[in-house]
Amino acid sequence: MLRNSFPRISKRQFSRLSSLRATNATSKEPTKRSQNENRHFPLSEAQAAYLDRVVRVDQAGELGADYIYAGQYFVLSSKYPHLKPVLQHMWDQEIHHHKTFNSLQVKKRVRPSLFTPIWKLGAFVMGAGTAVISPQAAMACTEAVETVIGRHYNQQLRCLTNQFDLKKANGSVSVPPEVNSLTETIRQFRDEELEHLETAIEHDSKKAVPYMLLTEGIKGICKAAVWTAERI
Amino acid sequence: MLNRSLKLSKRMYHANASDFLKPTTLGSLVYGKDSMQYKVLSHAMDVSVPIYGFNERAIVHSLNVLKLPSSMLSVISSSNPPSFLHSSPALMELIKFHLVDKRYKTVAGIDPEAADEELPSLESLLLKRLKLNAPIASRLSQVLSQLAIPGPFLLNNALPELHRLSDDLLYFSNEKDHTDFAWYSKRLAISCTYVSSELFMSQDKSADFSQTFEFAQEKLHRVMKLGEYYNNTEEFTWYTMLSAVNLAKSQLARG
Repeated sequence: MLRNSFPRISKRQFSRLSSLRATNATSKEPTKRSQNENRHFPLSEAQAAYLDRVVRVDQAGELGADYIYAGQYFVLSSKYPHLKPVLQHMWDQEIHHHKTFNSLQVKKRVRPSLFTPIWKLGAFVMGAGTAVISPQAAMACTEAVETVIGRHYNQQLRCLTNQFDLKKANGSVSVPPEVNSLTETIRQFRDEELEHLETAIEHDSKKAVPYMLLTEGIKGICKAAVWTAERI
Repeated sequence: MLNRSLKLSKRMYHANASDFLKPTTLGSLVYGKDSMQYKVLSHAMDVSVPIYGFNERAIVHSLNVLKLPSSMLSVISSSNPPSFLHSSPALMELIKFHLVDKRYKTVAGIDPEAADEELPSLESLLLKRLKLNAPIASRLSQVLSQLAIPGPFLLNNALPELHRLSDDLLYFSNEKDHTDFAWYSKRLAISCTYVSSELFMSQDKSADFSQTFEFAQEKLHRVMKLGEYYNNTEEFTWYTMLSAVNLAKSQLARG
């Protein structure tokens, strides 16, 4: 009885108050410590720089895709009504992708690409320009763009799944949840982009007239744009 | 050289704070809040700089008051290269500390995840940052002249800190953030406002710097107005262009 009413002191204390302080400290500490135990060590500078670059280039890419479909829709929707729902569906998905990366960019405080106005203009002109040539040329443009984007997303996924095993404070190693969710997002978007690629091929993209010239030219442009958007 | 100028544009991804351990250093400083450097430099900023101004004597005074050996001066300056015009590296560290620490103090305790109504306005944050300068206002011209000297310190510390400040002011306020080029122009506008207000403050003789705050408010207001003008023009141009295209289309369809 008497034993229970006093706090048990294992070490002999110098002052009477120090035992009080000790019980106070222990009552708060475990929760804080267990929280900290579950946390990862901070991202290295290279990892943070890589994520920064991923968000920036993906945002710029989805912005481009959004505007390419806008250009195609603008030209094709009235002339070829049978393409309207197809284009609308792909465009809607691109708008969703674009919005996702926009919110990531604001939340993670990543700077957008400096050339955003140029990407907008260029993408719209590319979409509308190929659509003016013929609907098949527009589909060839889609095919080329989605090929480059799909490949680029795959490269990112490779790096995100390989290079982000971070140590936790309790010694275990795992991927931080936000990197996981970014990977999931990119994986889903990659699948949707490749679906667009198939749609484009189904709609006779291979029958576009200067097929090689169009696809290879657009692939080159896209690669250059990706390279630039990653950096500037 | 290229690397150095790239540092200006380097912006890091900000990870979810709750998933990670707190970093041991404070922003771009190489030490954290419970380090000896922090103790000495914050004492210097609070006590010695108002007396001695921004120079080595202020730091030495703080070291003496804190009963530390004055050879600590060389430890404090260790992360800086010797600067142009023979200013002491310890002084450069003090200036860097002033910039970084005040920036953190401005936004301390604000949860950026909170709803927009609970966040402070951009204007109030800007004024808060300026108010933190009040104790050293008479010495402000010394800092500003050091910061303005072209050289590595300007590129590696002064300008990046200025832009981090405007970035923080935007992120922690309820101001709308942008995903396109406006991201850059808005930050540039806020940086300009801040620097000119600071310049004004260094010469301000009014009671409680009321004129500085008035100046800053007006300047911010004007800059935001300019952005509004631009947006309205852009919107109108876009509208005119689209309606012109549609008009042409409908005329063509009629044949």
